[in-house]
Amino acid sequence: MSPAETKLHCRFLRLFTTHEESVRAFVRRLVPTRADADDVMQEVSIVLWKKFGSFHEGADFRAWAFGVARFEVLGWLRDKGRDRLVLDEGVALKIAQEAEVLEPALSRQREALERCLVRVPEPQRSLLMRAYQPEARIQEVAAASGRSVPGFYQWLHRMRKTLLDCIHATLAREASP
Amino acid sequence: MNADLELLGQRYLDGSVDAEGMSRLNAMLAADADTRRRFAEVLNVDSALATQAMGWRAEPTATLRLRATARGRTGWATAFIGAAAACIAFAIWIFSSRDFARVENVAGIQDLAPGSHLRGERRELQGGTLALVTAHGARVVIEAPAVFQFESAQRLRLMRGRLSAEVPPAAKGFTVVTPSGVAVDLGTRFGVDVPAAGDAEVHVFAGEVIALASHDRRSLRTGDAVAMTTAGHAARQTRSAAFIQSDEVTDLTAGLAAGQRARSAAALAQLRNDAALIALLDFETGGGTGAFRTVQGRWPGSHAPEFVEVGDHLKLDLGGEHSWPRLTLAAWVRLDRLDAPYQSLLHTDGWAASNPGQVHWMVNRFSTMRLALKGNTLAAGSPEPDSFPDSRTPVLPEVGRWVHLAVIYDSEARTTRFFLNGRFDSESREATAHPARLGPAQIGNWNRTDRKLSGRVDEMLILGRAMTDAEIRALFEAGNPYR
Repeated sequence: MSPAETKLHCRFLRLFTTHEESVRAFVRRLVPTRADADDVMQEVSIVLWKKFGSFHEGADFRAWAFGVARFEVLGWLRDKGRDRLVLDEGVALKIAQEAEVLEPALSRQREALERCLVRVPEPQRSLLMRAYQPEARIQEVAAASGRSVPGFYQWLHRMRKTLLDCIHATLAREASP
Repeated sequence: MNADLELLGQRYLDGSVDAEGMSRLNAMLAADADTRRRFAEVLNVDSALATQAMGWRAEPTATLRLRATARGRTGWATAFIGAAAACIAFAIWIFSSRDFARVENVAGIQDLAPGSHLRGERRELQGGTLALVTAHGARVVIEAPAVFQFESAQRLRLMRGRLSAEVPPAAKGFTVVTPSGVAVDLGTRFGVDVPAAGDAEVHVFAGEVIALASHDRRSLRTGDAVAMTTAGHAARQTRSAAFIQSDEVTDLTAGLAAGQRARSAAALAQLRNDAALIALLDFETGGGTGAFRTVQGRWPGSHAPEFVEVGDHLKLDLGGEHSWPRLTLAAWVRLDRLDAPYQSLLHTDGWAASNPGQVHWMVNRFSTMRLALKGNTLAAGSPEPDSFPDSRTPVLPEVGRWVHLAVIYDSEARTTRFFLNGRFDSESREATAHPARLGPAQIGNWNRTDRKLSGRVDEMLILGRAMTDAEIRALFEAGNPYR
């Protein structure tokens, strides 16, 4: 390995780790499940590294990564759309384009979630975290909580809604002097 | 969100939407930017929840369960292995396991051993001090009580606690996120303090840090400090010594390993049975009124009052009815800075001719100790510049370290003997020596604003007899948190 390649790789890792969360959230907004987002993200990471040589130092890594991710997601939607219900390509494209403008706000919302999450009382918070474990089986978590699967989904939906309300309120409060 | 959209969105997320529902959802999203925005926000919450869940542990007290490699990561970690020799270990470290930092040293933390790796999990430290190195080489020390979580190797969320960071060029951009603002390091050394109540502070020891609070962006340079508030920034005095750095963690770890905490407890237990004991303040049971912060003392999870603002103080009443012909005062103190001319260790209220013998114990403008008793005079020819008994050795080199300060007063022998870290320092001789009087008093302040103490006081001993030099030495050796 040449020193130049080593340096390039280190530079990539630095940028990638900084922006990974934004890119992952970007992908997540365009596909139906978190597992789908993980699959797409795996491809996105590899393509980003392969094409990193053409990325100009000093350019906006996040914007560049969003562009790569958008291309990968659209390909995935086209592929999976044949036998699964997914977003229309046109809709996905619009959401992806709007992400550039929305990302600062969305990123603040992701940060604010944590401040709202601590206000969720136990045992609800643990239940929510258990449901969001990468290897979680919803049937098991639902059963453990004494709910039916549809009932549990309903509860998850209500929690997300409550958290989003809290996020809006928190950010509005923090923005005012 | 209207009811239909909400229901469809929910079904889409559950995987229970049907073809007709999906096409209606697509149509609604295609038609309206505001709808798309709300849809994106819900999915964004989903992402954020998944991130939070990565660091979540079912048992807050359980030892770290190493999580299985996240779904699908292993495959592309291998894709990197062929990439670059020097970066391989680094890449595997970050990518195969998402380790953001490695624990280098701990003082008093049970469930984190040196060498263990930190990922995105939320961590709570009840007591102790943790030294770690991020994947990019930033050295970070976190002092309990603390709650923190790495979001990446370059981004650390600090909900509570005190942190110092030394950031090499490779980790430039290392960011600390606090509840009231964000600090981005542009190289070298800084500290962040997130107290239990109040705004987070950023202190720059060397280099440059960008502080972002409530859309207010400020560049801080060496020696600058700010509190990040919801209204922007407020200037603060730099307290670089208030932050534990990695070399001190090493000494604290060695002290604990040598059993110092138990020795200290045994020595305190013995003192509590001393017939001449007036007060032994260990600050553990709460108590004490005044204005101060409660932070960690010398031992993991122990408590000490910390004095930061002008006027911060701790009030106590030591009983004014007695006179003490002999008096020993001793304390473990951690001074953050020595800018105020006088730093109050123990000041009885007032300074009246009608109350001869009242005690004022402080660090003076020469950064030596002073024990002033109202109405006392020094023996003729004494060298002390202000005509008060002063010690000789400055405490300056001990700033930012726990130091043991002691003084023994004997009105019958007419002597005041000073001790620094258990060692005899100097003796002042008095011409007039009243028995000592105590009564209502303050630690960290007097009823004037020039007696500010900057720092922490652990353990304070007030004893109505003269200890021997050997006793002072033993007191220091038993209570020393370092090795």
